[in-house]
Amino acid sequence: MKINRKLFPYVLTLPALLVCVGILIPFFTAVYYSLQRYNLKMPHMKGFIWFDNYINIFTDASFWNTIKVSLTYTFFTIIVELLLGLGIALLLAKRNWLNNILGVLLILPLMIAPALASLIWKLMINPNFGIVNYILSFVGLSEFTWASHPDTVLFTLIMVDVWVFTPFIMVLLLAGLRSLPRQPFEAAELDGVPEYYKFFRITLPMLFPFILTASLFRLLESIQQFDIIYALSQGGPGESSMVFQVSAYLHTFQYTNIGKSAAMMVVLWAICYFLCHVFVQQWQKLKIKTKGELLQ
Amino acid sequence: MSYIKLESISKSFKDDKVIQGLNAEINKGEFFVIFGPSGSGKTVLLRLLSGILLPDSGEIKMENAVINDLHPEERDVSMAFQNFALYPHMKAYENIASPLKANNISQDEIDSKVKEIANLLKIDHVLNQYPKELSNGQKQRTSLARSLVNRPSVVLLDDPLRNVDAKIRFEMRLELPKVLKEFNTTVIYISQDYREAMALADRIAVLYDGKFNDIDLPKNIYEKPSSLTTAKLFGDPTINNFNAVISKNENRVIAECNGEKIILQRKTSIENGECIVGIRPEDINLSNQQTEESLKVEFRTKTPLNLRIVFLVKLSNGLELLCSMSEEEAKNIKEKEQLYVSFKEDKCLFFDAITKRNLE
Amino acid sequence: MKFNIWSILKIFAYAAIILFFLFPIAWILNMSFMTNDEILRKVPVLFYEPTLKNYIGIWEGEISIPGFATMYIYFKQNLINSAILSSFSVALTLVLGVPAAYAFARYKFKGGEDIAFTLLSFRFAPALLIIIPLNLYFTQIGLYDSYIALIWVYQLITLPLLLWIVRGYFEDISPDIEYAYRLDGHSWFQSFWKISIPLAKPGIAAASLLCFIYAWNNFVFALILGSSAIQPVTVGALAFITASAIPYGLIACGIVVSVLPTLILALFIQKYLVQGLSLGAIKG
Repeated sequence: MKINRKLFPYVLTLPALLVCVGILIPFFTAVYYSLQRYNLKMPHMKGFIWFDNYINIFTDASFWNTIKVSLTYTFFTIIVELLLGLGIALLLAKRNWLNNILGVLLILPLMIAPALASLIWKLMINPNFGIVNYILSFVGLSEFTWASHPDTVLFTLIMVDVWVFTPFIMVLLLAGLRSLPRQPFEAAELDGVPEYYKFFRITLPMLFPFILTASLFRLLESIQQFDIIYALSQGGPGESSMVFQVSAYLHTFQYTNIGKSAAMMVVLWAICYFLCHVFVQQWQKLKIKTKGELLQ
Repeated sequence: MSYIKLESISKSFKDDKVIQGLNAEINKGEFFVIFGPSGSGKTVLLRLLSGILLPDSGEIKMENAVINDLHPEERDVSMAFQNFALYPHMKAYENIASPLKANNISQDEIDSKVKEIANLLKIDHVLNQYPKELSNGQKQRTSLARSLVNRPSVVLLDDPLRNVDAKIRFEMRLELPKVLKEFNTTVIYISQDYREAMALADRIAVLYDGKFNDIDLPKNIYEKPSSLTTAKLFGDPTINNFNAVISKNENRVIAECNGEKIILQRKTSIENGECIVGIRPEDINLSNQQTEESLKVEFRTKTPLNLRIVFLVKLSNGLELLCSMSEEEAKNIKEKEQLYVSFKEDKCLFFDAITKRNLE
Repeated sequence: MKFNIWSILKIFAYAAIILFFLFPIAWILNMSFMTNDEILRKVPVLFYEPTLKNYIGIWEGEISIPGFATMYIYFKQNLINSAILSSFSVALTLVLGVPAAYAFARYKFKGGEDIAFTLLSFRFAPALLIIIPLNLYFTQIGLYDSYIALIWVYQLITLPLLLWIVRGYFEDISPDIEYAYRLDGHSWFQSFWKISIPLAKPGIAAASLLCFIYAWNNFVFALILGSSAIQPVTVGALAFITASAIPYGLIACGIVVSVLPTLILALFIQKYLVQGLSLGAIKG
């Protein structure tokens, strides 16, 4: 059998594409559901209602709460992870035996399933025997409420997220730091440029593409975080840690309101799409800019 | 009888017309060299012949059958790549055996054939090594062995001597024709080196800007290039050329160039008028003795090149000429004294001033 | 003086980093060798006799606690499920992804980049957006609660990962080597099998392991698309911890057993991780 040369690459990619397109259909189904009154418990009431679900969620205070919680969670996880990841990467940048070992060992949290990481921390902060509380008791914080109180639950979740995903930023930035060309640094050293100036004017700008890539990946994952939150707090207490996907999950399986949860997911998808778009644009601009600088 | 036939082959990449309507006929058993400067489309042409690339238009025929659409493995063609393209994860032995294995040949026969060719190319002692353990010369011989082991009817050699050092290149230039003769195959050989092309070729095709300028015997191309472009490509140092107005009388041609009258001992059929005169550096006599048709020149500089000495001299009208001669002859030249040049009989070439085609 | 302050700060930073990031893993490992009594002490014990009872309990699925009736746990099945789901997902990804990665690396074809980015974008779509309708579909066509359905959906995570790593490795192979093999008289498939794949092997191996880790670590797909019979350790462990009366040592042990495979695999591929994690956007 002879396959046309022009068609051949399509033949090679087709199976992969088919498997994924099979999954694209549900995406459109979800958009379709979001325009319907669709509650599994009330199948007879199923019907087309245009944008009522969207109007519904946007006039619902609890959805605004979800948005607020999601954005807070995203904002703090990314800020903390970036700063911490950058700090650790800078600390480990020089190659020596300790840094090499730590560079490998610090990846481990990232390789643990986020859901299981939540469980590890659940055991660590258990009010009865948790080792963390025991340690904190020495500084007079033995009664820290962790995930059981609305005021501290977000802090706890962010901490677990930071524990799991800081290594991601660290690994990327460390690779970035170690791949930077040496000449600018040597030149700066010859000129006797102070450390802080070297950091802000040479290291950071040159590391920026890496920081941007790492942030984009984290941003998209963080705003969609489900595993950590579901495993640790399930959105509670009350709705104090209710993020998009947990909320959609509960609306589907507890309240069986498919239409509403689909609408929420479409909103989340739109946010992700928008963020991705903005980031890719910035990234391309940056690429052009850095290329221009290199040419000079 | 022509064995391979190219009929107006064209190939372009986006807007870049790399190959533009090539026609050629290659005979069975011929050593056919495609010569051209880098970027002239040589490698693309070879890839069209091997089936790696497909032509946009035109036909490639082998024994009168169109093979345009045949995949590389379906053509009775083998190829040695410029970068050797050895399989890094296979030993030299397996590299060479690869074409045999594709043809369901018995293990014993594979073994004897691999050893035979390895012996011929003097690489039998490295058969058990991986490509990265081989020297460049050994890699080159391995890649050559791989292309010949199955005795293909056509062997394509993509500048195989380019990436090896001068000594190996010199050895191989002597050895290669012998080896290839033994296999009695049609060879299509790409080269950027006119001397290599002249040393190896039965016929040379000069490829320039995707077109064949000349297809002819090496001697003819050197002596009667079809255009100034070809003349410039063949020869080192390059051919001298200058614009002149031609007038003829009897056995002589007078070329007037910027007020200087150059007398050429030559019969020609070209018309009087403006043209470009080309004369190779070795075809200029340089001496301290004045003759009837010689011209006064001023010495500028000299340099050794390829075992010869090249002089740069200047005519009184400002025209600079290169002349080359053997070291022996150069010893007789007294640079401090007055020098004269004259053009050897029958040697200069005339090209059209605009089209640059050879006028004869 | 300034030098000393920096050194002390540095040592402090190292200590803090090690404590925060590595201590929880060490402590959970430690707990898995403890009995319930030892764990429940208000003041943590540092010296105790390590016991393998928790591991044996997980393996045998039967545990008797003094004062309670014998309990049966099904965590072993979760482990088996995880192994099945992850292995078959990676296998399917290899079959689908390696040829596609090759096509993206080797050929410039119309729409090629678009197809590649479409496949990449799946990694960033909200999971629930897709799974909720899928859940309803699978229920209708009887695929709900089947390995096949989960392995299919897992491709959403593993396929982009493999595609973008392996593509880079194929790009690094000189096409001339493949052409040379074909001119020897071998078909495209033979050159793919005997030349391209062996030469891209380190990348394919690393990508497979990373895919395995990601498949193993997945939580949300199995939570929604399967019942307890086919659920992997991630979901199983959660059910395990929320069930009352299960000894804490056993829970810790369950977690250790669940995370150990991925941690060990991670150590094998750490050299390739950057490329994998950034989907090839950054070369390590």
